Amino acid sequence: MKILVTGATGFLGGSVVERLLAHGERDIRVIARSGSRRDRIELAASRYPEARIEYVPANLASRTDAIGAVADVDVVYHLAASMKGAPADMFLNTVVATKYLLEAFGAGRKGRLVLVSSFSVYGVAKLPRGSVVDEGTPLETHPEMRDVYGQAKLRQDQLCRESVGRYIKELVTLRPGVIYGEGGGALSARVGLNLFGLYLALGGKNLLPLSFVENCAEAIVIAGQAATAAGEVYNVLDDDLPTCDAYLVDYKRHVESLRSIPVPYPVLVTLSRGLERYHRWSKGQLPAVFTPYKVATTWGGNRFDNGKIKKLGWRQLVSTQEGMRRTFDWFGRCA
Amino acid sequence: MTLKVALVGCGKIADGHVEEIQKMPERARIVGVCDREFLMAEQLATRYGILGKYDDYGRMLEKEHPDVVHITTPPESHLLLARMAIDAGCHVFVEKPLALNLRDAEALLAYATDAGKKLTIRYTYLFDPPALRMRELLVSGIIGEVVHVDSWFGYSLTGPFGTAILADMDHWVRKMPGQLFQNNIDHLLNKLVEFMDDEDPEIQATAWRRRTNARDDVRDEMPDELRLTFVGKRTPAHGTFTSHARPAAHFVRVYGDKNIAHVDYVSRTVTLEPGPTLPSAIGRLVPAFGQAWSFLEEAGRNSAAFARGDFQFFSGLNRLIAMFYDSIIDGTPLPISTRDILRVSRWMDRIFAQIAERGRR
Repeated sequence: MKILVTGATGFLGGSVVERLLAHGERDIRVIARSGSRRDRIELAASRYPEARIEYVPANLASRTDAIGAVADVDVVYHLAASMKGAPADMFLNTVVATKYLLEAFGAGRKGRLVLVSSFSVYGVAKLPRGSVVDEGTPLETHPEMRDVYGQAKLRQDQLCRESVGRYIKELVTLRPGVIYGEGGGALSARVGLNLFGLYLALGGKNLLPLSFVENCAEAIVIAGQAATAAGEVYNVLDDDLPTCDAYLVDYKRHVESLRSIPVPYPVLVTLSRGLERYHRWSKGQLPAVFTPYKVATTWGGNRFDNGKIKKLGWRQLVSTQEGMRRTFDWFGRCA
Repeated sequence: MTLKVALVGCGKIADGHVEEIQKMPERARIVGVCDREFLMAEQLATRYGILGKYDDYGRMLEKEHPDVVHITTPPESHLLLARMAIDAGCHVFVEKPLALNLRDAEALLAYATDAGKKLTIRYTYLFDPPALRMRELLVSGIIGEVVHVDSWFGYSLTGPFGTAILADMDHWVRKMPGQLFQNNIDHLLNKLVEFMDDEDPEIQATAWRRRTNARDDVRDEMPDELRLTFVGKRTPAHGTFTSHARPAAHFVRVYGDKNIAHVDYVSRTVTLEPGPTLPSAIGRLVPAFGQAWSFLEEAGRNSAAFARGDFQFFSGLNRLIAMFYDSIIDGTPLPISTRDILRVSRWMDRIFAQIAERGRR
């Protein structure tokens, strides 16, 4: 069975390729644009000399490239998404690229698509504090009030669901929380934001929905291989989640001594109202980074459930304590 | 009268157009956006609350009956899309560069003129606050008679757009005759035309590739550094496009026979560089204080604008769009003359021809 992994050279991609090999896949095509890093894939592949790893330098925002990338492929693990940049570029590289991938797949074997979506597609702004976010939580109904990443991931998620039967035979959707680990970003915005050298600790006692990169990759592959996962959605996050404050304390202890101040949630909401009003009054002179809606979405304080992916057989490979230690060690070495 | 505006091409720069148009509801409202990829039209419409979204340009023109069309597609399509808009009775606001070459630019401008429709181009920096203040200084005589002009445009190939160009060997920017330069040097040249009377000055262009991380691909020979010398009847000029000097500066220096003005489009300051007026060491000591005071005044001016909410990223674009719409509604003059648009196009043709000729040698 031939597998295609998009976004394979990204932070999560290397781990997904490694877990695919560990779970017996031996014919893997990865999209690796010229200049992208292949070291993690090559390290994983070196442990499975009988495996065939094929590198394809495709740009998924090109229909022609997408057709070549999916040729003879049975299962696509679709990880590629734009994390930053101008809104139009993010939509192009996340949503339009997904459309071209789906169309190309539909013209070929029309197999299974394993989509790595995001927690950000859920509409949690109106949920009471402490509500449990699980696979039954409604999706966002006001994408225009969210950041561009959330908007693009929501549209991508929707596009894939609409494509079942038309372009793909089966869809398996995984929605990870905050993916972290060696090689990833430092501190999630859920923990706080750096403002001109002063770190605003915004998360407080909220649970941080962490997913260590290897655990996340394991969940993706377990779901990707399970026949019963067709048509299902799985939230992906680890056990023993720390609070944002606890995560920040550990970060400061092991990585760097940040100057931080806690910003209580009511203060944050008040600030966001002021900023939104200023944004409107000044006709966008400063961006509305915080709005009450975005604040409620990101820092409103939810609980999380990973029961469904566990029922599928997923087990956490790396404990949260060990994951944080390895991540902070890596940050420390990079600092 | 409120103009009905449509936009075609929902890429990155479209955001700037939409945001500025939506700041002038007394003049215009956006009725539709179009992109050949519907998802791109949809994302723009969703983010800005626009009702009309299309992947069929002809259908948008037919259904929405816009008064003005903003064309924000890659340049190769400008001529065709602008003609279709003009045929539908619309005025057109075109992204720079106007067309792929002078011939197409002339054809497009003639088409608009013959149809009695107005056309302008996004030469936004001509209407930015520093440019307006520089003109005040020129009119007041503080700079004196202009002896020479330097126009400098710094670019970052590590920014989102630069990265996209480098990553994609088939990017539309690479397919234009002037490649990276053609997508940028309108902003360098359009600041010179107001100082030079010439239709066709003597131009010397030198271009090369400075980046060392180019790929082993013949298509990656795209030059990224350009130096220009213009010799006209009265005012000579230099132009610099650089992808590597840091920070990526963007300024014009106007050398008058009384003062030198430094017009900075990044920090939005206009400062004079006075020479010594006192003798000996004192004469060398005092000018720095004068310059410091000049910067302080500019900082105060900018702070006041910020406090008024009038320190916007696209100030110049807003002013340009407003002037263009006023020219349609009230019959006021166009913000940019046809002659200046054509001179920029002509000079670009000359520059790219020289670069190509030297490349062949």
